[in-house]
Amino acid sequence: MSEIGQRKTKIEVKEALKSIAAEMHNKMERGVPPSMTLPVRAKTNIGFDNKLGVYKYGKKKSTRDATSLGSARQLLRSLHVTEFIEQMIDSGKSSTLREMYYISEGWGHGKFGSQNESNNLAEDLEIVTKCLREDFKLRPEEDGARIIGNVTFEERNRKGDWMKINCRDDVGDSGYGVPYNVEAEKLTLIEEDVDFIMAIETGGMFDRLVENGFDEEARCALIHLKGQPARSTRRIMKRMSQEWNKPILVFADCDPWSFRIFASIAYGAIKTAHISEYLATKEATYLGITADDILAYDLPSDELTKQDLGALDSELTDPRFNTGYWKDQINLMKEIGKKAEQQSLAKYGLDFVTDTYLPEKLADEGLNY
Amino acid sequence: MGGPSGEFEMVDARDISNKQKQIAVSEFFEKNKHFLGFDSLQRSLITAVKEAVDNSLDACEEARILPEIKVEINRQKGDDIELISQDNGPGIPRDAIENVFGKFLLGSRFHAIRQTRGQQGIGITGVVMYAQLTTGAKTRVISKIAKESSAVFVELGLDTRKNKAIKSRERRDVWADENTGEEIAHGLKISTVMKAKYQRGKQSVFQYLRMTSIVNPHATITLVVKDRDGDILEDAKWIRTSEKLPRVVEEIKPHPHGIQLGTLQRMLRESEQNRMTSFLRHNFSGVSVRAAKELLSKSEIEENRHPKRINSEDTKRLIHSFQEIKLLPPPTDCLSPIDDLLIKKGLSKAIDSRFASTVTRLPSVSQGNPFQIEVGLVFGGDLTSDGPIEVLRFANRVPLMYQQGGCALTKAIESINWKQYGLDHPGGKGLPKGAAAVLIHLASTNVQFTSEAKEAVSDNEEVFEEIRKGLLEVGRGLKNHLKKNTQREKAREKFELVNVILPEIANKTSKILGREVPDLAPVITQIMNAVFCEEELGWDKERKVATCSIKVFNYTARARAYTILLKWPESESVSIVENSNGGRKEARGIWAWRLDTLNPGSSATISIALSGLSKGDWTDTDVFFRGNGDIIGATKIDEKLLDEIRKNEAINVVRKEMLEVNNITTENNQVEVQEVVFNDNDDSEIIDIFSKFEEEEI
Repeated sequence: MSEIGQRKTKIEVKEALKSIAAEMHNKMERGVPPSMTLPVRAKTNIGFDNKLGVYKYGKKKSTRDATSLGSARQLLRSLHVTEFIEQMIDSGKSSTLREMYYISEGWGHGKFGSQNESNNLAEDLEIVTKCLREDFKLRPEEDGARIIGNVTFEERNRKGDWMKINCRDDVGDSGYGVPYNVEAEKLTLIEEDVDFIMAIETGGMFDRLVENGFDEEARCALIHLKGQPARSTRRIMKRMSQEWNKPILVFADCDPWSFRIFASIAYGAIKTAHISEYLATKEATYLGITADDILAYDLPSDELTKQDLGALDSELTDPRFNTGYWKDQINLMKEIGKKAEQQSLAKYGLDFVTDTYLPEKLADEGLNY
Repeated sequence: MGGPSGEFEMVDARDISNKQKQIAVSEFFEKNKHFLGFDSLQRSLITAVKEAVDNSLDACEEARILPEIKVEINRQKGDDIELISQDNGPGIPRDAIENVFGKFLLGSRFHAIRQTRGQQGIGITGVVMYAQLTTGAKTRVISKIAKESSAVFVELGLDTRKNKAIKSRERRDVWADENTGEEIAHGLKISTVMKAKYQRGKQSVFQYLRMTSIVNPHATITLVVKDRDGDILEDAKWIRTSEKLPRVVEEIKPHPHGIQLGTLQRMLRESEQNRMTSFLRHNFSGVSVRAAKELLSKSEIEENRHPKRINSEDTKRLIHSFQEIKLLPPPTDCLSPIDDLLIKKGLSKAIDSRFASTVTRLPSVSQGNPFQIEVGLVFGGDLTSDGPIEVLRFANRVPLMYQQGGCALTKAIESINWKQYGLDHPGGKGLPKGAAAVLIHLASTNVQFTSEAKEAVSDNEEVFEEIRKGLLEVGRGLKNHLKKNTQREKAREKFELVNVILPEIANKTSKILGREVPDLAPVITQIMNAVFCEEELGWDKERKVATCSIKVFNYTARARAYTILLKWPESESVSIVENSNGGRKEARGIWAWRLDTLNPGSSATISIALSGLSKGDWTDTDVFFRGNGDIIGATKIDEKLLDEIRKNEAINVVRKEMLEVNNITTENNQVEVQEVVFNDNDDSEIIDIFSKFEEEEI
């Protein structure tokens, strides 16, 4: 699965899906409630894979069987989705997850209760069949990232032609929009002239760095994550790191949720741990804002809320944060009881971030300009 | 409205105290408007509607007419509001109109106590006064009594110096209904214009009428509120759910235990009797000849002293002895409870809910005042679940809308640990939260309020305890209901799972794989692995019977045998008219059926029909079972509880027999009882002659 070239054929995908139906059918023939076996998708069941260097699901399995109404409905939905995917593969169509959610309106008792349910089920099927949702012809609704900087991609457009795009010269202020599919059949990494790649959590900060011409001044590519990064965003960062061998730095707010954004980029997300080796960039570094920065730069800050504190405590038992660095950061944050936004740096003026803060932080990482 | 003018004691406002003799009524009104209910624009409108509607209900009740009451509120320029109130009551005779609308009524009649709504307001005169003071408007009255061929049309104002009504533009005419044009046989309509404000919410005319309709299920009440340009702002119609008028309440005399010094002095001063013995016997309840003699000797007062010559020292001693001599309790037939079944109907008329439990407690006595508590609880449906429950307080069928926090009725609700009955009750303090409403009705000949505003009932231990007992009873009902709901929901899910989802799964896998659909019976047994019971209560419109069907499904791998027991509302008027499976009576209100052996995968159905109930009377029941292995949807019968029911039944039978024996017993030991009988009969003719005889003696 880690190699793009080894993607499954249509027949293999259909067979993999049919094996789910077969497991259920065989059980019923034996007089046993039908079921489906899945890894437990929680932080208690992710472990570090030494070989891959990212977090993957562990051995804990949960069985979804038809002894409760909720589980039985899930099984019925899986079968409806299986049928739907088969039809799409046969007719050469694809649909968004949202479209599938609406199509399920016609599935009677198999219809989805919410969009979230259909997204989760698509992921379940990926896990069980070891296919990617691209194989299922299912597209996410989610918005990919924006990139600005002196890097060049080649993207296959709707007409099927390859189109070369330089993310500094061929784009407007909003940058290059990352498509939902960034696999080899759709996107090729052509060339770059940068020293590092910086991923930024908020749009406000991304625009500030663009306006200040930071990409040229510091010779870097800027990526706007748009909050929790989409799969394609994480995937393109992974490819840029692997294929161009450039450092990836993450610049986010200083709050528990930003830590999780970083963890999903660097170690793998809990929800998609079945394809962590494919999405996670283990070389990524957290640049800031750190809890130390709040003190060191005396940044304007907000009190941690009850939810924030709960999230921090939960992170302390998350294996991905079980390192000296993160334990220190989380405990320090709890101790000072504060969080701060990226844009709080504006306290010292609009240029402070590009003139002082980032150069100092980058120098700590050995990147001088 | 009003009724015969002798109904109330008319107290001339100038008599209220000697000092106030020269003060105009308008000044008295102005000074006291906070407790007369006219202290704000919003409240004045509610009070005016309340006075009109309470009078209408009282008058209809007395004339044995099912009330149809229409309230119309029309906004006019500025703060002016036109209030129209119309009823189908007996109307007021021409000569009584001046008195009903022109004199202040304060309190209820002195020497005779009974439960009336009118106790709680100053009367319709206050409305006439308020309108005149704020807008100068006259109050227009149309009154038609059945035996006269035409109605009286008249406009009324008040001479505030003389405390007298001023009539103008009086005429007689045929009174026809505005909409149908038909002549109205009897009724009363008043309309007036006052400064007021119409608002929605917890304290509004709408809420007042809604609450009134709950405790008066025999009344149909309509409300229309119109804007300045005639657009309807709000309208509501609460249609009667019962054709049964509240029973006529007996008047009773005060009981010595509840008498205060001032009252006693006044009663002595106004006595119509010439001897203390007859004074005590005829002005109080619970005082026999023997008790009167004992009271007087204890207080060192000669039996033949004239009541008007009793000095204040004597009076104090007499009050003291009231507490020392054993007296009979006051009779309780002076109370008019609403009746638990009717409260349920009233509540369902106003609130769409999933569950309603109501209880009417037996009458009790506190400090010589008979009282009776009724409690209702509704849950679910239209009620909102965030925030505290809705509290509906009533005293003698009159809604209490203000000062909820300081009211003993509210405090009783707050004293219950609602958490154990299934309501959210943070910290066990204050009102519980959730989609529920609690109704409390206090019926009493003497409701004690915390202040003259008469909006909050003051603390009283006996009343408090009675309310608590009632609340616990409805609370238990709620708890059972919620538990049953959870079980029912669980059973429903299982049924949907095996009957709908599982077959669909099997069809789909077969289709995807191109294989045969497997036999699901063994899968179903394994999934369910339980015995289920479902009961359904219904109403057969054509045959007018309440129905109940109980289905028992055995979804286990073994054969099962059970006895099923059903709780039903057995009474003298309710009986089982249809019964599919025979069975036998297990105890009062509990019927039992022994079922044949239920094989795996099979089911059995029991159905019965009850006569003597009306639609909506039977909405909740309990199903029990006896036998091995649990049944989801039924409770294992508690044999101890069953024994207790049987024992109580036996005790009741014995008690009845004993009562019958008592009724024919002796003269020697039963002197008191005999006197009660004499008092109860209250042969008024004899007593009247007796009192006249006394008067002639002077």
